Amino acid sequence: MAGLSIENARKSFGATEVLKGVSIDIADGEFTVIVGPSGCGKSTLLRAVAGLEELTSGRVVIGGRDVTDLAPSERGIAMVFQSYALYPHLTVYENMAFGLKIAKADKAAVDEAVRRAATTLSIETLLDRKPGALSGGQRQRVAIGRAIVRQPQIFLFDEPLSNLDADLRVRMRYEFAELHRKLGTTTLYVTHDQVEAMTLADRIVVLRDGRIEQVGTPRELYERPANIFVAQFLGTPRMNIAAATADGAGKAILPDGRNIVLPALTVPLADGTPLSIGIRPEDIAIGDAAVDLPFTIRFIERLGGLATLHLDGGNGDDLVTCQLRDDGSFDEGDAVAASFPANRLHLFDADGQALGKARE
Amino acid sequence: MSLRRWSVTLLAALVALVTIAPLIWMVSVSFMARGEAAQFPPPLWPASPTLENYHLLFGTFGVGHFLFNSILVSTLATGLALLFTIPAGYAFAKLRFKGRDAIFRMLVAALVVPGQIGMLPLFLELKAMGLVNSYAGALVPWLAGIFGIFLVRQYCLSIPDEMLEAARIDGASEGQILRCIVLPILTPIIVTLALYVFLSSWNDFMWPLIVLADQGLYTLPVALAASSRQNVQDYEIMMAGAVVTTLPVLILFLALQRYYLDGLLAGSVKG
Repeated sequence: MAGLSIENARKSFGATEVLKGVSIDIADGEFTVIVGPSGCGKSTLLRAVAGLEELTSGRVVIGGRDVTDLAPSERGIAMVFQSYALYPHLTVYENMAFGLKIAKADKAAVDEAVRRAATTLSIETLLDRKPGALSGGQRQRVAIGRAIVRQPQIFLFDEPLSNLDADLRVRMRYEFAELHRKLGTTTLYVTHDQVEAMTLADRIVVLRDGRIEQVGTPRELYERPANIFVAQFLGTPRMNIAAATADGAGKAILPDGRNIVLPALTVPLADGTPLSIGIRPEDIAIGDAAVDLPFTIRFIERLGGLATLHLDGGNGDDLVTCQLRDDGSFDEGDAVAASFPANRLHLFDADGQALGKARE
Repeated sequence: MSLRRWSVTLLAALVALVTIAPLIWMVSVSFMARGEAAQFPPPLWPASPTLENYHLLFGTFGVGHFLFNSILVSTLATGLALLFTIPAGYAFAKLRFKGRDAIFRMLVAALVVPGQIGMLPLFLELKAMGLVNSYAGALVPWLAGIFGIFLVRQYCLSIPDEMLEAARIDGASEGQILRCIVLPILTPIIVTLALYVFLSSWNDFMWPLIVLADQGLYTLPVALAASSRQNVQDYEIMMAGAVVTTLPVLILFLALQRYYLDGLLAGSVKG
């Protein structure tokens, strides 16, 4: 096993620059998830680590060894693709053994490696079947098995759960976490699904437009997003954001004149400073305190245990989303009062960058 | 609905009958006594079936030799065509190299030029190379057919890049990827292409006639045409010759038709 460093990676396709200087350090044994919207360059970055794309500039270092100019097979990596990429004419056993056979490994050693991987993934009974006779989940396991057999230093996963249905995705997510615990191999995992990122990662790298927006643990990114993009990208429903102006006295004035108490900041805001206020839907409390703001429930999404309320402030602004336990006491059209606890607010400057909150 | 279905079946059967009738009559005449088919109206079946025509064909006319020549030329043509066409089609579909698309467009454009137009320049070229009146000369046009390259390329396009990349990560060289991954997947199209080249070279009359001067080198169609000039009245022998020419490829086609249909449908079904 080994750590992985990507140093100032740049990649252009013609005139389009897809990676604009990405640097990431992944510790030995760490599970890192790269997440971002379509076209942000996350798959290109993964393919560059695998050696399937040549970087325009920058370096890839695995276990202290510069592998930038090495062929994919010489990098000590194994990759699991979104489409599984199994060889359709070979059995599961032959699929898993393919890499070792190419490397002319001893037949007994190949057999042992394949059977051990098959046991780890509980696919011993499938070894004689061809990929066409397997379900989506089984194919995914075989693809992982093929990666394990090679005993790589780094696992690379390119959106491996995207082709599975919702149920199976949840189960495989759990299995990925289990597998990583068992093998402890350094893993770089690419997805556009923030739930996968939040549940699997030791650390998340949020990528947008070829640049890193923020790196941190799932908790850090959720609790202290570095900017509005990260704040809204992680979390479902997404964070509410409203434009406001600081009044210089610890409050923010909303465009309709209502005001909200702000948390203490490391650098106090001067009167008239424009800012954006963010609050997660689950942090909004519905109550009837004197400081609460009045809203009308425009629409309710009932999810069983939870309900998402879409609140209309009556001033033409975007609806505010609020999530809470559904006890059946709310109906569409009801008038409610919502409070925005100061310690749950996220503040962003005019450029969308987070403003530092003073320690409580 | 049922009536409609019956009428479709009837129509299909009728078309099949019209198509196969000449073939059946060809076989039937080949077993007739000499002169029997020349009567009017011509009989449908031999009065007393005989193998005399086949004895004459293989004995006096030595058709066995020409049959061997045809098998040799068609087999070599098929083998060589596959050897060059498959890697070329694969490279045009999956390998990145400078000028790939431009060269391919040029090749496809050349498809519209009828083969006959190239025959004279090709003949002159081969003459300069000293290959006229040899099987090497007869095989040259089959080495890399544009249609074959096009067919293989289109099929290769349906192979996901990720599968080849997985093999690259597994440490396979480009040659190993072609041999171990691509070729097995291409089986239907390889069978289709092999059958196509074999049938075309087997039935080819014009080019062997031009390039092969020595009678001993003649392929079956050329030899039969030459002997028909002497035996123009002998329908029965001619039909026996036609049976000998048609039967091997017909059997080959029937044996491989499952793969052949797979291959032809590949583009539309697999997308």
